Amino acid sequence: MAVAAIGTSKLSKDYGMGRGLFELDLRVEQQEVFGFLGPNGAGKTTMIRCLMGLIRPTAGSAQVFGLDCMHDYVAVKRRVGYVPGDMPQFGSLRGSEVVAHLGAMRGGADLKVVRNLAERFSLDLSRRYREYSSGNKQKLGIVLAFMHRPPLLILDEPTSGLDPLNQQEFYKLLKEARDGGATIFLSSHILSEVEHACDRVGIIRSGRLVRIADLDELHSIRFHHVELEFAPGAKVPIAAIRSAAGVEEVVVDGHIVRCTVRGTFEPLLDAIRGATVTNLVSHEPSLEELFLEYYQESASTKALTN
Amino acid sequence: MVMLLLALRLGRWGIAGFGAVAFLVTLLQSAGFYRVAGRTEAERQAFGRSMSILAAQFSAIVPPPVRPDTVGGYVQFRAFGSLAIAFAIWALVAASGAMRGDEERGIVEAVLAAGLSRPRMITARLAAFALGSLVAALAATAGLLAGVASGGETFSATAAVGAAVALAALGVCCYSLTTLLVQLTSARGATVFAGIVLLALFLINSLSRTFDGLARWRWLSPFHYYELSSPLVPGGGLDARATSILITIALATAVPAALAFSFRDIGSPLFRFPARARPASFEMSRSPVWRVPIVRDLYERRISLLVWAAGLAALSAVFVVLTKTIVQPLLAIPALAAYFAFFLKGDVYTSFLGYIWFGFAQLLMAGFAITHVARWSAEDADGRLDLILSSPISRVRVVGERVIVLMLGALLVTGVSGVAVGVEAHYQAIELDGRRLAEATLLLVPFTLVFGAVGALLAGWIPRAAVALLGAFAFASYLIVQLGPIFKLPEWAEDLSAFKLYGQPLTAGVDQTGLVITLAIVVGGLAASAIVMQGRDIGT
Repeated sequence: MAVAAIGTSKLSKDYGMGRGLFELDLRVEQQEVFGFLGPNGAGKTTMIRCLMGLIRPTAGSAQVFGLDCMHDYVAVKRRVGYVPGDMPQFGSLRGSEVVAHLGAMRGGADLKVVRNLAERFSLDLSRRYREYSSGNKQKLGIVLAFMHRPPLLILDEPTSGLDPLNQQEFYKLLKEARDGGATIFLSSHILSEVEHACDRVGIIRSGRLVRIADLDELHSIRFHHVELEFAPGAKVPIAAIRSAAGVEEVVVDGHIVRCTVRGTFEPLLDAIRGATVTNLVSHEPSLEELFLEYYQESASTKALTN
Repeated sequence: MVMLLLALRLGRWGIAGFGAVAFLVTLLQSAGFYRVAGRTEAERQAFGRSMSILAAQFSAIVPPPVRPDTVGGYVQFRAFGSLAIAFAIWALVAASGAMRGDEERGIVEAVLAAGLSRPRMITARLAAFALGSLVAALAATAGLLAGVASGGETFSATAAVGAAVALAALGVCCYSLTTLLVQLTSARGATVFAGIVLLALFLINSLSRTFDGLARWRWLSPFHYYELSSPLVPGGGLDARATSILITIALATAVPAALAFSFRDIGSPLFRFPARARPASFEMSRSPVWRVPIVRDLYERRISLLVWAAGLAALSAVFVVLTKTIVQPLLAIPALAAYFAFFLKGDVYTSFLGYIWFGFAQLLMAGFAITHVARWSAEDADGRLDLILSSPISRVRVVGERVIVLMLGALLVTGVSGVAVGVEAHYQAIELDGRRLAEATLLLVPFTLVFGAVGALLAGWIPRAAVALLGAFAFASYLIVQLGPIFKLPEWAEDLSAFKLYGQPLTAGVDQTGLVITLAIVVGGLAASAIVMQGRDIGT
């Protein structure tokens, strides 16, 4: 059995008052894209900082390619590319100088790789860091993480601040890195992002790993809030909507219908076919909503089973 | 009102710290007076005469004493002279931090987004500093009264409060001037620019006491108006006109500061030249300086290193000129020449220069070390250390590289000033022993490293408080030397001070024991900081 890219055993970091990370057991295989999903303050960054050897666990252990994250942290860093949750200050240094500086700390960076990454994200490296927008700072973080083609990428909410086009470019980059043999550990609080990019997902809440799910299970968890606005005077196909598979909690308010759609949109779209819809809005629930829904469902299922 | 409270909250550590310093300085100086000045009228007059001769050495920094045979005159000279410099530095740091530092941190944007106008924001910050500096200055008053009480005497509370009012007025004036000056430059250069202007205003006043040509410009300096008040001296008082001028300057500069702040973009200086259009570049810097550890860090600090080196070189040359200007007329007095010959070892010029310049240079180099430690703490707080440690380098190496950078920086800065001293001494026909000058200059490096090692330990232990604690350490270290002989502290206690360990190398050569203890402190501090750094959580 190949050594895991990431392995943790009862990893805990207790900040007191119920904050931190508690008894986290996780195994991420090599060449896997693993999503680490959780709401703000769930413990994602704490986990990543433990993996990076920046903070000491209160209990348990964390390993990267079989190396202990605290004792062998220099060796671990040789194998890791890292995007921090917040890019730090580099003041008046130019982007090109930041890359040269941190690249040199790794023993040098490949000029071609850097150029390619900067071009892909349209990141002007001649500008001073303090002139960068938050999106550009994030792009620089991505360049720094990928420039030495590491076998493991640890990315803490890497797409925050990126526009949709650059997000798409980033997902392509992830795919290329994975195809090139890299393992990716991606933390996020956006379900669709993790769904889009990852093979497996660990869901963390209040410092505890509540579930490790594959993509199919993730699809079953997710739902959308939908609002349909029909043309005034047009017939509203209420019965068809209510009976559509996966459509729940239907509320009618004049010519506006609100409902929840679980799984695919096909049944709902079939139900409203032929009706004059003037507006259709769909939005993803927050992770908190999703967790509440998920836990309520689990609890009721458990009660029925009992 | 909310902004005023917020400004007070943001500046609470400054108020507490400078209040504590002010209290301690006046308490120790006034209590010390009774230990060294004697009890009888004759003893005190003799003490006053010797103080006046001694004080001539410091005329480039603080005004000469008036009636140092009295506790008021002594404390006015020994405490309120140096507190004026401390309050000016506090005003500089507080104003540039409030205007440009908080801007970088996003606090200014958040405050303005809450609906506060820019002039009101400046007014609230100025009012908060005025209040804070008055509180800190009143702490000096309390220290004076407590010190006098310890000597079994009483002192006029009105006069003591008058001294506090003059001190606070100077602080507010410097704060307001800085608030205006920092509007004109980029955030990066704001503190340096305002600091250079304040230093120039300080030097115009202080050097005018020695160089007559500068006397006509003295009216420009807020420090001149501060010195017109001598409320603690018998027969003296708070000069109402001079204090009003300080407050008027503060108010008059606050208006254009508010206007400049209203007209400029947040994050930009008032005057900004349009950037030259140039094509985007996707290339990493190929400069070899980034490839070499240590060199890249020195290169990143090149501007500040050059400013420090040039500043120290210029000041050292000024001190050499001062030495010549002050000592020459004294030696012309036969009685004093005999006095110097009896008490001083070797050449009078050399002794004098060693005392005033290398004494002052020690303070500056302690400040140099503190600026480095401030940067180490900032790297920890803003996440840069996270990214540095995401590279395959050990924490011990980070500590080591930081200290080597500090050492080489100190070597450059002191080396340039040493050359400046040698060259200027040659022009002034002061004969200096080249070897001793080199030793005195080089000894400033381990002296700086003492503060670097203690700072590294503090930055690893509690980075957020490292600068304040290191400042307190430097202050205590300086006080031990100043007050040790007065309070008859044991030798070992004085040996704890880096200032004592430095010795008088220009006249007496290297103090081998002092050097060994200095190096032991450096090595011990660095070893402890490496251990602390290895075991700590980064960013907390």
